Amino acid sequence: MTDSFILLPIAIPFIAGLVVLLIGQRIQSVKEAIALLATAATLGLTITLFRENINFSIPWTGFGIDFALRLYHFSAFILVAASAFSFLFVLYSCSFMRNKPRLNQFYCYLLVTLAMTNGAVLADNLVLLLFFWEGLLLTLFGMIAIGRPGAYKTAIKAFVIVGISDLCLMMGIGLTGHLAGTMTISKISLPTYSLGALAFILMMIGAISKAGSVPFHTWIPDAAVDAPLPFMAFLPASLEKLLGIYLLARISLDMFQLHGNSRLSMLLMTIGAITILLAVMMALVQKDYKRLLSYHAVSQVGYMILGIGTCLPIGIVGGLFHMINHALYKSCLFLTGGSVEKQTGTTDLAKLGGLWLKMPVTFICFVIAAASISGVPPFNGFYSKELIYDAALVRGNIFYLAAILGTFLTAASFLKLGHAAFLGKISEENKNVRETKLPMLVPMVVIAAVCVVFGVWNYLPLNNLIKPILGEERLAGQEFGPNSMLITITVIVLVGALLHHLFAVKVSGSGYKASDHIRHAPFLEGIYTKAEKRWFDPYDIGLKIVQGLSRFGWWIDRAIDWVYEDFAVHIATGLSSIIKRAHTGSYAMYVVWSLIGVLFVIIMLMKSF
Amino acid sequence: MLSPLLLLPLLAIIILNLPIRSLTQKLSVWVGIGLSLWQIVAVVLLAMGHESADAWGKYFTLGLSCDNLTLVLLMSIGIVTLATILVGWQTIGGEKQRFGFMNLVFVAMIGMNGTVMLADLFSLYIFIEVTAVASFILIAFQRNTNALEGAFKYIILSATATVMMLLSISIILLVVGDTSFAAAGSAVKQSQGNPLVIVAIGLFICGLLIKGGVVPFHGWLPAAYSAAPAAASVLLAGIATKTSGIYALIRLTTSVFANNESVNSILLLAGTISILVGAFAAIGQSDFKKMLAYSSISQVGYIILALGCGTNLAIIGAVFHLFNHSIFKSLLFVNSAAVETQSGTTDMNKLGGLGTKMPVTNATSLIAFLSTAGVPPLAGFWSKLIIIIALWQNNLHTYATIAVLASVLTLAYLLLMQRKVFFGKVAEGLGNVKEAGWGITTAASILAAITVGVGVTFPWMFNSVLMPISSFLK
Repeated sequence: MTDSFILLPIAIPFIAGLVVLLIGQRIQSVKEAIALLATAATLGLTITLFRENINFSIPWTGFGIDFALRLYHFSAFILVAASAFSFLFVLYSCSFMRNKPRLNQFYCYLLVTLAMTNGAVLADNLVLLLFFWEGLLLTLFGMIAIGRPGAYKTAIKAFVIVGISDLCLMMGIGLTGHLAGTMTISKISLPTYSLGALAFILMMIGAISKAGSVPFHTWIPDAAVDAPLPFMAFLPASLEKLLGIYLLARISLDMFQLHGNSRLSMLLMTIGAITILLAVMMALVQKDYKRLLSYHAVSQVGYMILGIGTCLPIGIVGGLFHMINHALYKSCLFLTGGSVEKQTGTTDLAKLGGLWLKMPVTFICFVIAAASISGVPPFNGFYSKELIYDAALVRGNIFYLAAILGTFLTAASFLKLGHAAFLGKISEENKNVRETKLPMLVPMVVIAAVCVVFGVWNYLPLNNLIKPILGEERLAGQEFGPNSMLITITVIVLVGALLHHLFAVKVSGSGYKASDHIRHAPFLEGIYTKAEKRWFDPYDIGLKIVQGLSRFGWWIDRAIDWVYEDFAVHIATGLSSIIKRAHTGSYAMYVVWSLIGVLFVIIMLMKSF
Repeated sequence: MLSPLLLLPLLAIIILNLPIRSLTQKLSVWVGIGLSLWQIVAVVLLAMGHESADAWGKYFTLGLSCDNLTLVLLMSIGIVTLATILVGWQTIGGEKQRFGFMNLVFVAMIGMNGTVMLADLFSLYIFIEVTAVASFILIAFQRNTNALEGAFKYIILSATATVMMLLSISIILLVVGDTSFAAAGSAVKQSQGNPLVIVAIGLFICGLLIKGGVVPFHGWLPAAYSAAPAAASVLLAGIATKTSGIYALIRLTTSVFANNESVNSILLLAGTISILVGAFAAIGQSDFKKMLAYSSISQVGYIILALGCGTNLAIIGAVFHLFNHSIFKSLLFVNSAAVETQSGTTDMNKLGGLGTKMPVTNATSLIAFLSTAGVPPLAGFWSKLIIIIALWQNNLHTYATIAVLASVLTLAYLLLMQRKVFFGKVAEGLGNVKEAGWGITTAASILAAITVGVGVTFPWMFNSVLMPISSFLK
């Protein structure tokens, strides 16, 4: 196996994507076949490459910028995960996206996104990384824009927000390259003080905004409504988490010497904790299946950032484990949402209910994934969260408290979602709903099964995938055994969430309204109302500032215009009319003027001679 | 070669008025075209150094002299007279009328040619008066109230000027005993502080300012220009007043007053006031020809301003602008003649949308207006540029700034004119307007071609034509 095989995970999906784009609107099956084959081939290839260590480099632009790719256990792991998810989503889309317009664009963007993700993960040069990273920005824009009519606004929002954070990444890369004297990622190891800290923060902004952390998350809930559903499962739920957290792990572990007692670590943990709480509070009160999930996609990022931010081996392992777990259960949840949307035509929780008998497989997958995200033992989310709790407790009680509170609210919101969507009374319109077709069921079932496997036999992914990333050195003497006290607290919190839900249902009368008492709680009421009016959306705040500046500029422009248009014209016409009035046409007057002129001239001459 | 410039028009007048009118009436136009073309050719030959022996000079000891300034003026006179004759041919109805018009043009030609070729105060005065007499009758040519009023105003103010100049000449004759430029110049230098000489200088300058129509001596000008028949306005505005007023002033300030500082400061002031008053008055006009008349005052202001600056570059700029002005202002008056004859009015509020009906007039008017406003690369831009650079170099920053800003006003009123007359919708009752006759369009095309040609070839012109002009400054 030659080294140049490493190019194939990038080349295959990219070329397939371009080919799909050329295929006409009517021939759907060919597009699906090409997309399936390409992703399957990529998956097979990445699995065969899994145990390899390859360094590949060809000259590219010069100035120390090579087309350098590096395959090792971390990148290989992400590669396999991304390819596997892509394959499953293509399979799912074969049924879900059937007969939707602009299918060629959808598959093209999906495949190119996979190619760009693989490229960014493999890149061993910062500029090359940036090249692929920016490519993702384009496909992100495209995938949202082909959603429902009017989605371009959300696409622009996403483009601006991600574009700004990518700009930060670009500056960070420039600064890092300058400080390190090289652009080769595997050779960089910078201390994190003064300029190094700035470089770290800039690159961190790029990484965590890709993962969807607060405050760079606001486009995700909008995209959940506007974009095609597989997009949500594909990008914000899985691939972007893999990519963002991959980069965060790389800069925290390899490129910068991040220490546990540094301010940067504290900053990361704070961002993580805030992300968990803010997003989950918003998720709790959502009344739409997809929007609710999208806020959780933000909230869970907080755990990963918190885990990595602790700078403790156990926390990092937990963060990375949570990354893969989250990609699994969140994409599974979005896929169940897609099934419900496909079969009932809506994702509005008010119109759903009682679907569990009609769509049993979907329901079971939902239960497994929801239990995972809520951290119910023995599913995978439970184990990764335990590790993060463990690390957070070491670094500070406050972070542990935020994490466990997040878990409580997550559980509460998923109890509400499940209750509102699948339990309760079925509505009249949904009487004839049936289970979804096989191509949509297979990905859900497979992912749900992996959730169970990663939970029950959690040592499998931990020992094979996660721990090699940190290496033997860091892990020496670390215990990963279960902490019985933490498990007990978690179980108590979960039982509390269940009791809270039952109580809320009893008070409000239905699962749909189970979170209303929080929505309308004193103090929170006002904040929620403002949040729903987008008072806190940095994008909208930015828009308002820009609008204000533009209005200010407009005023200045009007003022200048007034000087030209009115002031100058008035002066000119005023003078003109005065001069016109002086010219009465009387020749006697003109002679008088001339004589006065003569007098004036002679006096002037007299004075000087 | 100089005396024929005076004698040929005179001969033409005599022969044409012999009692064979039926024949000569038809010939008069061709004689006029021939005369003006011959003058242009003669100037070119003179400029190229073909100073052939002046065969007639032996018999007419007139004391004619010729330097580069004279050549530039002779050239302008030739071109504008040609345009005037072409326009007159088209616009003046009736053979008898046309015959009279041509005779008056020949008289004016004699007057102007004499003015620029003689180096003597009294002779200068005589030929200025010859031009003026021709002008009076040309203005009153249509014999209606308007024309007579315009002519009367000109006569009154011209008479004032005459009185002043005669008085001034007699004083100088008393003091010096000679009226040649050289003698007068030395007298001015030697008699420092002599109040009599100062009064004489002041009176002569004021006389010429009246002739040139500089503010505040300009009262006659708008009425005269607008009342004159279309063809006569071309001659008057284009060259007649420029020769008798502005040329004479250039000649006197350079060779008699010799850059006297107080004279210069008067000229600077008068020039600036002219520029501003002319431009502001032009903005408010609704009559095509009146607007052009005020524009003339404003443009003359630039020449006077440059003259007041006094440096060699400024004088070159003044002469160049005089030439350019005679071309583009004649062109604008030719266009106004076209509009007047075809639509029957010069009221801009009644005009509109003639651009599509009269494409040649429209295009040439556009060229003339852009040149007047000083838009590169047309001729008017370069002369204004030279004047402004000269002002700036001489530390007259305020005047330079006013000159630049006044260009904006020029652009404003001429754009207003162009828009009202040629652009936009066709005005009521003008649906059947056609392009003017070939005589007018030929004249317009020739003038436009000169404006564009001079502008485009300026880099060559500057070194080979303009710089040598300064040779008359000693």
